Amino acid sequence: MHAGRAFGFLAALFVLAFGLAVVLLAMDQQRVIDANAHLEEQTVPEIIRYQRLARNLEQLRQEGERIFAVSSHASRQQSMFVVTMIASHPSVLEHPGAAKLARETEQFLGEVVRQSVRDEQRPAIHYQEWQRLASRLGVQVDDVSIEGINLATSDLNVAADAMRLARYKLIIALLLVGLFLLAFIVLVRRHLIQPLQRIDHALSNLSAASPLPDFDTSRMLEIQAVEEAIREHHDLLIQNEQARQVLEKLANKDGLTGLMNRRFFMQSAEAELQRAQRYRRPVTVAMADLDFFKKLNDTYGHAAGDAVLCAFADLVRDSSRQSDLVCRYGGEEFAFLFPEISPTEAEVLAERLRASCANAEIGLPDGRTVKVTVSMGLADASECPIEIALKHADDALYEAKRLGRNRVVLGA
Amino acid sequence: MRAAEPVLRVVVLENSPPMSYRDETGQLTGFSVEIARALCQEIRANCAFDVADQSTLLDTVAKGKADIAAAAVFETAERRGRLLFAKPYYRSLSLWLARPDVVPGRSGIRVAVVHGSAQEDYARRQGWEMHQVRNNADLAGVLLGGEAKAALVPMISALQLQKSDPFRRLGLAPTVLRAPELSGDASFGISSRRPGLREEINAALDRIKRNGTYDRINSRFLPFRVS
Repeated sequence: MHAGRAFGFLAALFVLAFGLAVVLLAMDQQRVIDANAHLEEQTVPEIIRYQRLARNLEQLRQEGERIFAVSSHASRQQSMFVVTMIASHPSVLEHPGAAKLARETEQFLGEVVRQSVRDEQRPAIHYQEWQRLASRLGVQVDDVSIEGINLATSDLNVAADAMRLARYKLIIALLLVGLFLLAFIVLVRRHLIQPLQRIDHALSNLSAASPLPDFDTSRMLEIQAVEEAIREHHDLLIQNEQARQVLEKLANKDGLTGLMNRRFFMQSAEAELQRAQRYRRPVTVAMADLDFFKKLNDTYGHAAGDAVLCAFADLVRDSSRQSDLVCRYGGEEFAFLFPEISPTEAEVLAERLRASCANAEIGLPDGRTVKVTVSMGLADASECPIEIALKHADDALYEAKRLGRNRVVLGA
Repeated sequence: MRAAEPVLRVVVLENSPPMSYRDETGQLTGFSVEIARALCQEIRANCAFDVADQSTLLDTVAKGKADIAAAAVFETAERRGRLLFAKPYYRSLSLWLARPDVVPGRSGIRVAVVHGSAQEDYARRQGWEMHQVRNNADLAGVLLGGEAKAALVPMISALQLQKSDPFRRLGLAPTVLRAPELSGDASFGISSRRPGLREEINAALDRIKRNGTYDRINSRFLPFRVS
């Protein structure tokens, strides 16, 4: 999967979920707004209507009191008139409880007023009964008031429910945001940061010598591409190293014989000599020269000379130890370094080489065979620089030549 | 806004206390007038008040000579064709005022009604013998003078009549008539040329009912809550 697409998908999912939560919250908010609007436009007028009914019932009670309090018949009539109208007014009639009590009040007071026409003292007799009725009116006033106020409860409950629901939804939405953030962090960490750390580690340790970095193949294509590039880079490093080694070998070898060349021999011999001298180990150097090589060249040709040189190199390789260093020093001249043995012991090795060379039948390219001898000079190298030691060996070689060739001479 | 260019022309009755009358300084006042003033204030309109008789009140508005008839008008099918009605501003009922032995509908009884009122319409439909007067203030006169034995009046007019001693001495008793066209919601009439005005007035009425203005006016002019 592409990282961009994966994170895009996650972001889209997040936007969708969060958008949904916002819509749900907005719906709850709308419910609160609606409940408020209902409270203001429907319920409050209704409550006020109940308040007015309560007020009318209270007025009924006051007019009743007045009928008992005043002595003037005209005043009683006036009050009675108001009582009649209140008891018949639609605002009272539409509330069954209030209407019934108002009707009862009207009838009772009407009777009182009628009787008072005949007898001014009559009302006092009914006063106790009136007080009971008045107290019922008082209770009805309270009931109606409370009934009215209770109308608001339903609207307030709707609003409170919506608010409560909105709170839960808000918490869920916040949890959702938290969850998505967590998921985002985990995904970024697992699929981007950790692979990048692995890549960083792999790159800083990358060499031809180290093994191929082991990646848990990432799910992200971008990371996979980088990992693949690192693998390819590692292969390239190895190829380069191999090429370098081949080149190095080529640079250190003598092209004809395959032995070390003089430069590489001198480097290696000097290092070996230093090691031996530091640890006071015996070490011996030697110089060898094929006898009458110039004459051989002149007689059989350069190709024959080259064949002889190669054959001699083969002999040297066969008879020398793993640790011995041998090089084509120049022309038909060869240099040796024998670690860990004294000149006397080395003389045995040299003698063996000389003998095997003298006995060898060397085949030439044209099919003929030829015999070649070698002269060698040995010198102790355990206490002098390589150049000096080789000079001593060369002196010994010269001595071997002077003494008649095909021999080994141990130098000073 | 210049006073010379009133936004709203309001027509009211002049002789119908406590709903609509002139006070001792000659100022128009009363329940209906003050409610109309409160509504004008609520909708921030500059209102010019004019007076009319009950019989010409609705025509004035129907003909577009005024925008609002600020009086208790019962909404009837016939009236609906001529003008718009605002939300009810109070609920009324009609009273039969007569001596206790004179029951509604008895033949030979002349009933006093205000010309142009719903009560007149009702009495006519009932086939009652009528004595029409111009306004509520004239009712007491015809009853005291004997031209009419009974009166069919809105409750507020009855209340007003009841305040005068000579009237009370007549010993007329009130009977509530339950006919639907005689009771219920009373509204202001609005010119059908001003349809947007009805919504404004309705909203303003809701507001003054909520904010207490309505109840203060109610208490000032009427003995109980009429809404």
